[in-house]
Amino acid sequence: MMMKRVSQVALLALLLCFVLAPFLVNPGLVFLAGFALIQIVFALSWNLLFSYAGLVSFGHAAFFGIGAYMSAAALRYGYDINFLLLIVACSIAGAIGAFLLAVVVLRRASGHQFAVLTLALSQLVVVLIGYSSFLGHDEGISAIPRPTINLGLFTINLNQPLANYYFVLAICLVAVLMMWLLVKGHLGRAMLAVRIDPERAAFVGIDVWRIRVVTFTISGAFAAVAGALLAPWGQIVTPDYVNWLQSAQPIFATLLGGASFFWGPVVGTIGLSALNYLTRTWAGMSEILVGASLILIVLIAPQGILGMVRDFARNRGRRAE
Amino acid sequence: MNTLHIFALFNGLVLGMAIFLVSSGLTLAFGILKIFNFAHGAFFMIGAYVAYTLTGQEASSLPLFLAAALVASLVVGSVGVFADLTIFRRLANVPHEYTLMAAFGIMLFCTGATRILFGQGVHAVYPPMAIGGFIDVGLPIPLSVYGLFIIGCGILVLLALEIGLNRSWYGKVILAVARDPWMANVTGLRVQRVKLVSVALSFALAGLAGGLLMANQSLSLDLGHSYLLLAFCAVIVGGLGSVRGAFIASLVFGFAESLNAVLLPTMPGIGSYALLILLVLIRPQGIYPELSQ
Repeated sequence: MMMKRVSQVALLALLLCFVLAPFLVNPGLVFLAGFALIQIVFALSWNLLFSYAGLVSFGHAAFFGIGAYMSAAALRYGYDINFLLLIVACSIAGAIGAFLLAVVVLRRASGHQFAVLTLALSQLVVVLIGYSSFLGHDEGISAIPRPTINLGLFTINLNQPLANYYFVLAICLVAVLMMWLLVKGHLGRAMLAVRIDPERAAFVGIDVWRIRVVTFTISGAFAAVAGALLAPWGQIVTPDYVNWLQSAQPIFATLLGGASFFWGPVVGTIGLSALNYLTRTWAGMSEILVGASLILIVLIAPQGILGMVRDFARNRGRRAE
Repeated sequence: MNTLHIFALFNGLVLGMAIFLVSSGLTLAFGILKIFNFAHGAFFMIGAYVAYTLTGQEASSLPLFLAAALVASLVVGSVGVFADLTIFRRLANVPHEYTLMAAFGIMLFCTGATRILFGQGVHAVYPPMAIGGFIDVGLPIPLSVYGLFIIGCGILVLLALEIGLNRSWYGKVILAVARDPWMANVTGLRVQRVKLVSVALSFALAGLAGGLLMANQSLSLDLGHSYLLLAFCAVIVGGLGSVRGAFIASLVFGFAESLNAVLLPTMPGIGSYALLILLVLIRPQGIYPELSQ
């Protein structure tokens, strides 16, 4: 009970930090905060697959890339479309891509084969982007303009730094809330059952294959939303956002934060961002630190940071009694 | 068949052997640890850097080149012993995803360490005089001696592993532990030690591959990635943990890459990924399926 209260307070404090960030820290850090928000949505979408459907995807960046490139191309080449609609369109594209992939791949492969197939397919996307001069080959799309969004009653001009940040924050909050409602609802329960024991889940009447395909589709849609936000925020989209190292980011974040917690990827992403920020001036050191912390986490606290906190709180509670 | 195709086939064979040099260690590690060792590419790279430090840009003689590759394999092999003692051994009972993360962590750590130790620069490395240049063997085109050397190395490694694993007593012990560690333990085999030896062997193979393959390409921090992805493909298609399968699949991917360059020059790099997806969908268990539980 106590634990729940503390975590609620911590969550609110975190939200408050993000809301007040533009007034507290310099613009460089605000930029990183926005970036972290986008990565949080991406990491949470991956964790939907991992913790709730038991699928380890190594190619999740492909859907992130679909969203990023679609929104980048639409903005760069001046298609006049409301940016909110564009985000929805990106998420639909991501969902379609994920659905097609899931239908083909999940029929045949599982476990390691699934992991490597998703990796290969995402690398295929990188290769295909390299061919397209419309998508800027290996250099990507740069100098992406920030749109002005007309909402009828008022307009949001994303060229204003403050409006831009709060827009990203708002969309990310909506996405996180939607995912939270999803996993707490009926579908989330079914997903959990499929992860824990597919055989029994099938026995009580859950269509395991369908649940996995649906989860994959939803996860792809949210990854594409994260990508769509990146285009106007970072103003440059390159194939680096699609390759396998980008696919690994949500995996790190989830395990660092704690895979069995919904908020694990959030904590992990913030931890990773902080680690990268603190070591930014020392080439090579950031990799050493991120690598070492991953190894340490796996060895000492496979439950992640949140798992460590929970165990700590439990032990203290026991001692108090 | 014109010269272009012969050239492509020869190149494919060389590339296939090069992939096999990397994937042989990878598939061995898979058999024992049941994970994809993401760190394999990083150890390959470390092997190349160690050999480069010993020989410089161009090894003065063939024995020096070979000795450098051997030292690289010893160095990386001992890193493997260290990694197994400190990390992999402790992870025997946690889900595979976590071991995979640890391997990823090792990869990042090694890349960072190499960046600090050797700098960011890109080095060009040439094979020693004895295996540089070209040789005329009666075909319409002269063949690169270094290419023939790589083919020879690939065949040697295949023979050594196949004979060593299937004919020698210790090789059979390794296979037994890979197949069923619990049962192997019950029959009195020293499972921990066998695992240690095989992980060290796998890492040593990565170091050896780095030392042998560093010539004729630019030595940089991305060196690991380029081979690692193709080697992953080969291990998956060959059947997880099978050396024989990895050999066949490596050659298939080598040919796919080089024929891709000849037949579809406007679309580089698509051949092997398309082939991988096709092959896995047709035969997900691989050419020689994994036998363990």
